[in-house]
Amino acid sequence: MPLRSDATRWSTVAKTFHWTMALLILGNGAFAFWMDGLKPSLNKLNMFALHKSVGLTVLALFLLRVLWRFADRRPPHTPGPRWQMIAMHAVHALLYVVIVALPLTGWAFNSAHGYPLQYFKQFNLPALTGHDEGVANVLIVVHEYLFWFLLLLLLPHVGGALKHHIVDRDDTLRRMLPFGRAKRNTPTPPGDSA
Amino acid sequence: MNPTLRRLSILGLALAVPFAANAADYKLGTGSTLGFSGKFQGERFDGAFGKFDAAISYDPANLAGSKFDVTVDVASAKTGNGDRDNALPTADFFDAGKFPKAHYVTTGFSKDAKGGVVANGNLTLHGVTKPVALNVTFNPQAGGARLSVAGTVSRLAFGVGSGEYKDTSTIPDAIEVNATLNLLPK
Repeated sequence: MPLRSDATRWSTVAKTFHWTMALLILGNGAFAFWMDGLKPSLNKLNMFALHKSVGLTVLALFLLRVLWRFADRRPPHTPGPRWQMIAMHAVHALLYVVIVALPLTGWAFNSAHGYPLQYFKQFNLPALTGHDEGVANVLIVVHEYLFWFLLLLLLPHVGGALKHHIVDRDDTLRRMLPFGRAKRNTPTPPGDSA
Repeated sequence: MNPTLRRLSILGLALAVPFAANAADYKLGTGSTLGFSGKFQGERFDGAFGKFDAAISYDPANLAGSKFDVTVDVASAKTGNGDRDNALPTADFFDAGKFPKAHYVTTGFSKDAKGGVVANGNLTLHGVTKPVALNVTFNPQAGGARLSVAGTVSRLAFGVGSGEYKDTSTIPDAIEVNATLNLLPK
């Protein structure tokens, strides 16, 4: 269980960040569509509070993940055609943007609507904006569309990983899998450590 | 009326006023407010009743003859949040259709350890009557007086918040009540 990444695989920390956030974000998205259909009740308000708390957790994990990224090495990128490298970097950058924009737009919507923001019933967080229903109505649409955009970004992200695994038969996916180990000994090009 | 009789009657009036059974009677002036505050999901909210009326008899030197009688139209509660304001009159909270009025009437006054005046009375809210004590601050002013009262009410003691709304981890039980009344002589 290496704490830091090496040339053949991602560290336990990096894998934990990746898969925990993947589960929380997708789970919270699916949860949001379910809770939206609940009839008005205190239970519904509590479910919304849970959705907000999970979203804030994602935001906190994102900040920790970025900090960790500065401290950690990473396995070299699997070599590929130039257009694939550009696409990969673009998708990763957009994923990061969406991961941070999703909770922030949710938080801003919450503030603009004048709702409280309590983290797992423990403490409250301040409003990002003043009370403005017009702004709130825009932000909730942006919040939702960001989630659809995230799913769109998963097509090249997951598709690329599967293509490496099935077509190229390399370790790109395996090195990020929980408990996965590099088995195929992909030759590592010198100097390709980001 | 002959002069002697007039003097006697003035004397009688002068003697009678300080020993009147009732303290000075007041009615509500403009700018009077009746507010309440609670918490929802850890955040304080402040509300106010737009419609209420009060008959106040008060004299700090004659607490035994003083009395508050306040009637509140519970459907007039506003807290600055549309969702909450729509929910308050429903059967989940005040059930204003069935219990449109809340009523507070004092049974007596006492002094607390610090010498402050405490109004003891019965509050009828949501069909339940329970004693509620309020701290009283009274300041005579030109042309009347300003009366401030503050206290805490247990919403669950009155059944305000039924079913799942009894959950105090989301809506705590304690509701602060405060009123500032601009009193005019009756």
